[in-house]
Amino acid sequence: MNTVIQASGLGKAYRRTWALRDCTLAIPEGHVVGLVGPNGAGKTTLLGLATGMLTPTRGTITVLGERPAAGSAQLARVGFVAQDTAVYARLTVADHLRLGAWLNPGWDDNLARQRIRRLALDPKQRAGSLSGGERAQLALTLAMAKRPKVLILDEPVASLDPLARREFLQGLMEAVAEQRLSIVLSSHLVADLERVCDYLVVLVASKVRVAGEVSDLLASHYRLSGPRRDPDSLPAGQEVITESHTDKQSSLLVRTDGPVLDPAWAVKPVSMEDLVLAYMSRAGDDAPARRQHLGVVS
Amino acid sequence: MIRFGMLQFRIQAITAAVTLAAFAVLLAATGPHLASLYAADGLDSCHGSSCLSMATYFSGSLTQGPYGVLFLLSTGIILLAPAVIGLFWGAPLIAREMETGTADLAWNQSVTRTRWLAVKLAIGGLTAMALTEALCLMQTWWAAPISQAVADGAGSGVAQSRFSQLNFASHGITPLGYAAFAFALGVAAGALIRRTVPAMAVTLAIFAALQVAVPLWVRPNLAPPDRTVIPVTSLGAAIPSETGAGGTIFTFYAVTIPGQPGAWLLSSGPVNAAGQPVSTTPAACIPVEGTSPSPGTNQAASPQGATTGPVAFRGCLASHGIREAITYQPASRYWRFQLTETAIYLALALALAGYCFRRLRRLS
Repeated sequence: MNTVIQASGLGKAYRRTWALRDCTLAIPEGHVVGLVGPNGAGKTTLLGLATGMLTPTRGTITVLGERPAAGSAQLARVGFVAQDTAVYARLTVADHLRLGAWLNPGWDDNLARQRIRRLALDPKQRAGSLSGGERAQLALTLAMAKRPKVLILDEPVASLDPLARREFLQGLMEAVAEQRLSIVLSSHLVADLERVCDYLVVLVASKVRVAGEVSDLLASHYRLSGPRRDPDSLPAGQEVITESHTDKQSSLLVRTDGPVLDPAWAVKPVSMEDLVLAYMSRAGDDAPARRQHLGVVS
Repeated sequence: MIRFGMLQFRIQAITAAVTLAAFAVLLAATGPHLASLYAADGLDSCHGSSCLSMATYFSGSLTQGPYGVLFLLSTGIILLAPAVIGLFWGAPLIAREMETGTADLAWNQSVTRTRWLAVKLAIGGLTAMALTEALCLMQTWWAAPISQAVADGAGSGVAQSRFSQLNFASHGITPLGYAAFAFALGVAAGALIRRTVPAMAVTLAIFAALQVAVPLWVRPNLAPPDRTVIPVTSLGAAIPSETGAGGTIFTFYAVTIPGQPGAWLLSSGPVNAAGQPVSTTPAACIPVEGTSPSPGTNQAASPQGATTGPVAFRGCLASHGIREAITYQPASRYWRFQLTETAIYLALALALAGYCFRRLRRLS
């Protein structure tokens, strides 16, 4: 199976601070990949490396099997919407569509025009006077109309209000359905990803904590509660992700490929939010101060 | 990419066109009148030595009038154009894209950064060179009567030698080299610093420093200077100064070199008969108080040999074997110097452009 993003030993340092360390990943094609982690975890760095906007300090990364931004053909296969969804303030919406048509051989003008019409954007309006949501939509339109194989979005909805956020993600899902493309999007809001992602990468304190298909992850993680006991006494194959104890009770979140057979435990499935929070708090030793940035919006 | 480059360049292109048009109108409106003044002063029909006095009169009258101002203004615009281009076209080219985040948009279309930069540098650089050189050619046409007066021997006010910094840097092909260099410098500073305003400051500082340093220390040495020794009696301008004893001595400066019209004088200083530099006035030529000739007599050597007037002082120096050693660049080297300096600036511009490509590949 082909990979959208394959990284091995990937690292990026700014002066002496590692923004991303020892990142090894192989994300298969055809997924909507959610890259989640608190602010400053290295999400933007990873996506920057994937688009070739950044060069790795260590290790390698390929996107669809090629070095990022290796040439115009590779650039044509990857669409990117950056965090601040910058557009040329002095150019009009129509100018942006023109530049998209000029700079991309695979440009789908119908798709671009339809989207602009559906969004009710005035083609003559200068991009600088658009609202944050409209700017994001314009940037997404540019990225989609070049007909990429993979669309990379860095915090695309962070600056949007809840309604615009929903519309944006809806537009994204329609595009996935129509174009059969892979999507990688990052967010620090689990709720955004829960609705759209079928593949999850949790990045905390510049390291990948867990990665996999959402259904697999949910099927292999359980919340166990029961009488207090030492987590070390669990059977082999049950990995404790988080634990909390009261005098009489223990509550664990474990990962296991097999069923939990011990009748002492009350076994409950986990939600994606539980899962993400568990991996984030497990990494808490590395980044205690960052946990509070994790926003959970339902 | 070329169309996109043009789209982004349209404001600069409009600015360039407006500047060019305004400049052309200004010079076209006044140029014919300037030429008629030249003719009215009899310069187009003079012969031999009468030309010198006419040319001097012509340039003197221009210097005081509006044409003197216009000459300096138009020259100033040509000298400033490269700096302005470097600041406002060059420095923001990469830095602004990075500052506003539009680099993320520009560099994620199906066009490599190398091609993106090549197109942007070509559009901006060629326009910068064409604009500056066009200004220069227009002004050269306009100032042709002044240049002619210089050729006729005028050497004051607006009538400066072709080698003077003002003229050398605003005529010929040097403006083209400056424009290319300043533009590339701005782009490189922007690529290095990634912020527009600091990049502009750096561009201005480096360009201004070079515009001072090159005429002072580089240009005079583009070719080994010629040397000659001339009699002090052919020196001009005398500056008087009092001696401690109450007499007056004079300092003379070489203004023109006999037999070398239009040459660029680099240095001059007195030497003795043996060719050694001398730094003290021969004692015999220093006038002493009370030796002033009585009224009515010509300012001539006193019985002791000391002198009082500049002519007599100069004669005394000459009789003591003192002559003036001069280094200069002959007028015939003008185009060689123009070509060499322009080539240096173009080479620097290319080197800076090369740096930009390297920097852009591994930026951020």
